[in-house]
Amino acid sequence: MKLPMSRIYPMLFFTVMCVTSLGCNVVRITLNTTLTQDDVAFIIPGQTTLADVITKLGTPDSITDSYQGVVATYRFLDMKYARVNFGWLLKPWSPFDPDLIISRTGLGVDAFELLCDSNWVVTHQSFLRHLSGPRFNPYPF
Amino acid sequence: MIVLRSLLLLMAVGLLVQGCAFSRGTLGDDIGSEAVAAIKKGTTTKAEMLALLGAPDRLLQVNGRDVFQYYRYDAKVGSLLLIIINFSRFSIKSDDLFVILNREGIVEDIILSKRTDGLEFRFWPFGE
Repeated sequence: MKLPMSRIYPMLFFTVMCVTSLGCNVVRITLNTTLTQDDVAFIIPGQTTLADVITKLGTPDSITDSYQGVVATYRFLDMKYARVNFGWLLKPWSPFDPDLIISRTGLGVDAFELLCDSNWVVTHQSFLRHLSGPRFNPYPF
Repeated sequence: MIVLRSLLLLMAVGLLVQGCAFSRGTLGDDIGSEAVAAIKKGTTTKAEMLALLGAPDRLLQVNGRDVFQYYRYDAKVGSLLLIIINFSRFSIKSDDLFVILNREGIVEDIILSKRTDGLEFRFWPFGE
């Protein structure tokens, strides 16, 4: 029986996808909720108080003292890890478990910091790093 | 025919899905809502607060005041182990309580945020 090409292509695509993704791991770790510029757009330095910020964003992860006031910090993490083990391709034919692994981790650590004066009014605000967010990409080179 | 297809589909899913895993880890004790509700601004003393909540995880001096910080972390991990690909998602959130005491040792303000209430087991690592 001869299979029509319209059925062969999907089978071929599925086989290629299976073979190329053998031994793949995709892992994501999130700590707290990632904050964006839109989330903090409501903060107006000189007007917004720390209480207003807490009402919208919740409590900060830390509050520390500084010479010019109080620093409130919201920390968050969005880590992405992708790993491919090409050694799996040889497993059916090899007496041992060969490994040829490539992997890459994007940590995506960031924090949002607020400087408040002695009356708890926000005077400055900024993200610690301006990350665009890591992608799932196992290619390390 | 439908039964045969369903059986084949079930077998294919059974072969592809090797297993799944649920894991959970916590750090610290749950911050009791009743204990927090019992703390009254302007009247509760440091000793009463310590009796209700215990010693703080962190003691800070901010803006000329003592700040007692209590925290708890909750982590939920969902893993979908397929034969050719594994998906895992770790979700970690924290509950934080800050109690601000004035110079006389009276509670001036209480800030509580419970982020762990909405924490769910998730498997799919893509998207939000």
